[in-house]
Amino acid sequence: MRAMLIEFKVNGKNYGREVRPTMRLLDLLRDELGLTGTKEGCAEGECGACTVIMDGEAVNSCLVLAPQIRGREIITVEGLEQGGELDLLQQKFLEHSAVECGFCTPGMLMSAKALLMKNPHPSEEEIRLAIAGNLCRCAGYSKIVAAIKDASHSADGGCR
Amino acid sequence: MSKEFRYVGGTFPCDQALRKVTGDLLYGCDMKPAEMLYAKLLLSPIPHGIVKRIDTAGAEKVPGVVKIFSHFNAPHKMFNSCRIIPGQKFCIEDEPLFAARVKFAGERVAAVVADSLAAAREAVSLLDVEYEELPALLTTEEALNNKAVKIQPGGNLADQYEIEVGDSAPAADCLVVESVTQTQRTHHAAIEPHVCLAHYDGSGKLTVWTPTQGVFGVRSVLAEFFNLSYSKIRVIKIPIGGSFGGKQEYLFEPVTSFMAMETRRPVKLMLDREECIIQTRVRPAVRVKIKTAVSRSGELQEFIADTTLDAGAFTGSAVDYSRTLATKAPKLYRIPHYKHTGRAVYTNTVKSGGARGWGAPEIITAVEVHMDQVAKRLQMDPLEFRLHNLVYPYDRDPVLNLSLGDARVRECLEKGAEAFHWKERFHRHAQEGGRYRRGVGLACGAHKNGMYGGFVDCTSMTLRMNEDGSLNLNASLHDVGCGTATAMKIIVAEVLDLEPDLITVTEADTELTGYDPGCYGSRVIYNVGACAKETAEKLKDKIMESAAFILQKPKEYLCMAEGHVFTMEGTDERRVLSYKEIAERAIRENYTDLGVAHTYYSPSNPGSYSVQFAEATVDTMTGLTRVTDFLAVGDVGRALNRGMIEGQFQGAVQMGIGYALCEEVKINDRGKPVNNGFKKYHLVNAPDMPDVKVLLIEHEGDDGPFGAKSVGEISAVPTAGAVINAVNHALGTSLSDMPLTPEKVLAAIKQTEDQG
Repeated sequence: MRAMLIEFKVNGKNYGREVRPTMRLLDLLRDELGLTGTKEGCAEGECGACTVIMDGEAVNSCLVLAPQIRGREIITVEGLEQGGELDLLQQKFLEHSAVECGFCTPGMLMSAKALLMKNPHPSEEEIRLAIAGNLCRCAGYSKIVAAIKDASHSADGGCR
Repeated sequence: MSKEFRYVGGTFPCDQALRKVTGDLLYGCDMKPAEMLYAKLLLSPIPHGIVKRIDTAGAEKVPGVVKIFSHFNAPHKMFNSCRIIPGQKFCIEDEPLFAARVKFAGERVAAVVADSLAAAREAVSLLDVEYEELPALLTTEEALNNKAVKIQPGGNLADQYEIEVGDSAPAADCLVVESVTQTQRTHHAAIEPHVCLAHYDGSGKLTVWTPTQGVFGVRSVLAEFFNLSYSKIRVIKIPIGGSFGGKQEYLFEPVTSFMAMETRRPVKLMLDREECIIQTRVRPAVRVKIKTAVSRSGELQEFIADTTLDAGAFTGSAVDYSRTLATKAPKLYRIPHYKHTGRAVYTNTVKSGGARGWGAPEIITAVEVHMDQVAKRLQMDPLEFRLHNLVYPYDRDPVLNLSLGDARVRECLEKGAEAFHWKERFHRHAQEGGRYRRGVGLACGAHKNGMYGGFVDCTSMTLRMNEDGSLNLNASLHDVGCGTATAMKIIVAEVLDLEPDLITVTEADTELTGYDPGCYGSRVIYNVGACAKETAEKLKDKIMESAAFILQKPKEYLCMAEGHVFTMEGTDERRVLSYKEIAERAIRENYTDLGVAHTYYSPSNPGSYSVQFAEATVDTMTGLTRVTDFLAVGDVGRALNRGMIEGQFQGAVQMGIGYALCEEVKINDRGKPVNNGFKKYHLVNAPDMPDVKVLLIEHEGDDGPFGAKSVGEISAVPTAGAVINAVNHALGTSLSDMPLTPEKVLAAIKQTEDQG
């Protein structure tokens, strides 16, 4: 299979890369770009540890092929912090003890971020649905939901 | 409760939380030293058979393949995956690196090491193995009845025991109730798959980076297995993306080390989810029969239990685990005559192993489902029935002959019942009909605090004040995500009255940190935390002595607060020294290093308790159950980090609801695990989780730091019992075959209607 040259944007930075057609976005991010904050937990789109934002939508990067991001914009957990300042969601996760082992955290944050970008003031039900595809084995979701709710109540809904 | 604390009882993020939210923390999957090779395993597709031949020709041709391993070129020596020290009781060494005779579908047969994961994967797919199939024994019944097929050389019975305390003489008019509960195999489901990285360098030193719960146990097993000096092995605990006991045993350190030693390059073994489910460890399936005799007024007279634990194909931790089942009910109830017979049985199925609660969730679920059946027969509120029988503070555990300490299970039950409005809800919901039936259930649970009374429980650490007044605590911690390191900071900060942020705490590294058997067994807060407190107190003395020397005042005239030492009111002149000044001047003027070392030996092992209340709504059309309200009450002694403790309970409830309703590693009649991914193995997700309320009961009657007791395991003990009791309350059933899947729920509804 021939490699394909694609151009795309990750965390505000433009890239051009040759990729194999079968390469997963997850591997492109982790192995080629060194963005290892995005984690792999199941490789079948069930656990959500690999969630990133693609053109404003939360996607499982294990289910997206690298060529599919041609001309698109990706945000990963590394792109949340801006100018040395944590995103409001990151701050609230810390304040609310919403982080335990941390392996689901990047994906959880990205699903929450995608939600708040579209819907700055979601209901609890909307929050729970937005993270329905993100499994957490440590914390039972309550603190995570509370952190997202708190971020949505603050300032401009946690979105810059 | 009157004591004022500065840091104890507050809420602090877990250590490394900042690096977790930025994605900056490197887990095993992110580590990539120069020259690293990737290993991929070939797992057995059959449950029992001889590995006759492996054709490696195709695999060897794959570019990048470095070496292929199997029993044909690996040692046939065996190890035990949970042995901490050589000669340890119950730890039979019967697990090979690679199987010559596979004993379960999923066992390691071969491995390919290559310079890329893709090459290793491709080569594994080209390995051609010839097996001679043998009859497989897939259930404990088959394994016990079939004398012709021996899974292990000694037969299929791994262990059996009998424990009896008290006198057998129940009154003639006692009510006798019998029940059978079947618990199932479950997957730990840490979101991080298993991983291990090893390197054997040119000097003959083996270094292993592993997300383990016990570096010293890993080192001991490796040293004995490879006949290496302990001093030439370094085991470093790396960040863990969840364990729940699943990473407690040393599953891949031996095989990864072997491959590193053979290739002389760093080798990383990373599992995928399927491999984690079918070939790491599972919570064991246990069949629990209970027979009780109870007086008509509700007092337990006799409790007789019989348990059969499915060990899987090797011993591992199964013997200890099976024997532990006998130690839980007597921590919870006063039982005049107690008898427990139990056995662990080898089967040709995935190996059972350490799992959060180590037997307590299994046996306590059965006990609590049984207690509800007794209460129903007595026509008594399950809460009242339990109050007739629960232990009191400082009762004695008759089986282990230990004090239960300041056991506050009654207070958990009473305060929880009030907060949950138990009485009204229990009576109201029983009257409801319609398609959706609601019920409430409660369950009590007991667990322990460390190993005292049965095994070594000591820990060693050092604490040093730096030249600027900050602190370094050097301890063999294995934070699995629940805030162990932060808890130690809180303890030290409270004693020395300075910001927890000024303290750096290490995690375990056999070369650099003091001995500790491992962070499991509910021993960390109670014992390691107590060590941190005593160590900090020792340093406090030393700081005061230095300050006394600098100020030329007896230390009785000095006191310590907010990072300073100052002369007390009423002494001639008020003088203040900051920690920084003391630390600098101690070295410069007093030639004193402000560092202390301390070893702590646990003096006790009280009970930890939790009582949990569930409301379940069952759809009688589909058989689906939702847990719609939940309260977890914990007898935690003293909350050190309140937010993290609440999170522990909430996470435990997520695990317990799955245990009660949907999680099961199922094995088909050909011995193959059928739900080998998260598509078919369901974890409870956010929309299906209730908002779990947490109520903490705090006293300080025991030896933990500031009275703190264990939380992580006890929180997971009573959940499934509470949920199952709520379902049975909603439907008038007595379901006890776990998990309560829609099929089983519908069948039970039909059976109840047919009888009605």
